[in-house]
Amino acid sequence: MSTIRAFALMTLKGLTRRRTFWGIALVTLIALAGIGSIPSYDVTGEGRFMIDMGLFGIEIGSLLLAIGLASNMFPRDRESRSVMPLLAVPLSRTQYVLGRFAGAALVQTAAIMVWCACLGLILAVNGYYVPEAMLPASILLVAEGWFLLAVVLFFSFWTSPPLNAPLTLLLFIVCQMTPAQFSGLLPGAERVMDALRMLLPRMDVFHIKDPVAHRIPVPTAYFLLASVYGLAYTSFMLSLAIAVFRRRDLK
Amino acid sequence: MDPVLRVEGLSKRYPRQSGLGSFQAVSDVSFELEPGGILGFLGPNGAGKTTTMKCILGLLAPSSGRIGVFGRPPASREARRRMGYIPENPDYEDSFTPEEYLSFFASMRHIPWSRGDSARMLGRVGLENWGRARIRRLSKGMRQKLSLALALQGSPELLVMDEPTGGFDPLARKEFRDMILEENARGAACFLSSHILSDIETICSRALILAGGRVVREGSMSELLSSQNRHRISYRKPGAGNAEELVELADLQAAIDRIRSSGGEIEAVGREILSLEEVFLSATSGGEAR
Repeated sequence: MSTIRAFALMTLKGLTRRRTFWGIALVTLIALAGIGSIPSYDVTGEGRFMIDMGLFGIEIGSLLLAIGLASNMFPRDRESRSVMPLLAVPLSRTQYVLGRFAGAALVQTAAIMVWCACLGLILAVNGYYVPEAMLPASILLVAEGWFLLAVVLFFSFWTSPPLNAPLTLLLFIVCQMTPAQFSGLLPGAERVMDALRMLLPRMDVFHIKDPVAHRIPVPTAYFLLASVYGLAYTSFMLSLAIAVFRRRDLK
Repeated sequence: MDPVLRVEGLSKRYPRQSGLGSFQAVSDVSFELEPGGILGFLGPNGAGKTTTMKCILGLLAPSSGRIGVFGRPPASREARRRMGYIPENPDYEDSFTPEEYLSFFASMRHIPWSRGDSARMLGRVGLENWGRARIRRLSKGMRQKLSLALALQGSPELLVMDEPTGGFDPLARKEFRDMILEENARGAACFLSSHILSDIETICSRALILAGGRVVREGSMSELLSSQNRHRISYRKPGAGNAEELVELADLQAAIDRIRSSGGEIEAVGREILSLEEVFLSATSGGEAR
């Protein structure tokens, strides 16, 4: 565990020194500030538009951050050959994947929490009170972010960074679809599409924008199950990434 | 005593980029490195040295054959714990400092490490004033020195070095050679791949020459440098002082007879001592296999 912790800290330090991280973090913050400056026309005066758009903005920021942070980690290590001295110390390939993931996940979690706090601040500045469900909403965004990070990491072991981004984006879009929408993509092969959709996670599980915007309480059981669902898919993707990386020759 | 490193019948085949067929990079390579030995690893570009080295480090899986590092698989934790590696042209996360790298590597190796240890190690490799500089500011030679510092951390029992002096100036190369000899005197075995033949000749006790993925020469440095075929005859010519003649083994007896029949007095007959460059060129240009 201490090896993974040390490597995760090294990853975290490296990522927070990259311009990519600060660029995406700042652009998302600017977008949130922009949403805060759009006049809200809802009659209830609860800032629903701001909450809805703000949480959507954070979700997109989290997707971009996952791609920006993780798509280049292994290709960069391989091209610069810095992966070789790393793997020549007692750092197994499994520890490499888990350490890289843990470091990036810490950075992403911090970013999502800061963005959510900023959204809360923007609501407060505009005279709306911050709904209680903002906290579970942020945690579910983190769970979704971790899954996306694991997906990008998995793709990074067998594709190039330019291909990684569209593949992740495609998966992100497909995972937002309902089973009916998904099977409609390929008429005539509904059963195959249904089976495929069962394998892919349902990302709408992580989205509680509507209950938050409408001040509807989110049941604790739902929140816990959704978190476990996200962690299970993240673990599955990480296992795939480890399996691919362990078999890979480092030429 | 068990060898530190044992390679038995190592072969590695890569698939071609076209996807059709495969390419044999290394074929049936076998050798051993004894504790306390320094083995030089030579070969022209594309001979399979780096492939062999990556198999030893567990970065590539052999197509066939076996590798044992301290009697264990190369990718095992135990093998890596006892091994230090200096890569060819290393590149590191350039926003880090040498001190940070040493500290992270020590944590991953579970070695207690302080800032004082970093200062001592960096001082040893000649980077005493660069501990807190970003790696992007370090020259190629300095990065190589950082690799050396990282490899020496924890006093490894085996040092694996792939072209370690590539970015060094002559003074740094001399310091590097001295440091390797110091480590060897401490008890570390060294496996050194280099194109700089003078380095190999100066510090290695044994050498192995690879060509076309196969071992073409192997032996102790004195065995390699003394020619198997050419002999030097020193003799005194009647009324004309000393003379020398270089002959092939097959012609040796005939040459001795000829000198004697012409009244010459044979003073010494011995194998011709070659330079490592001559041995290397003869071995890699179709010289006989081991």
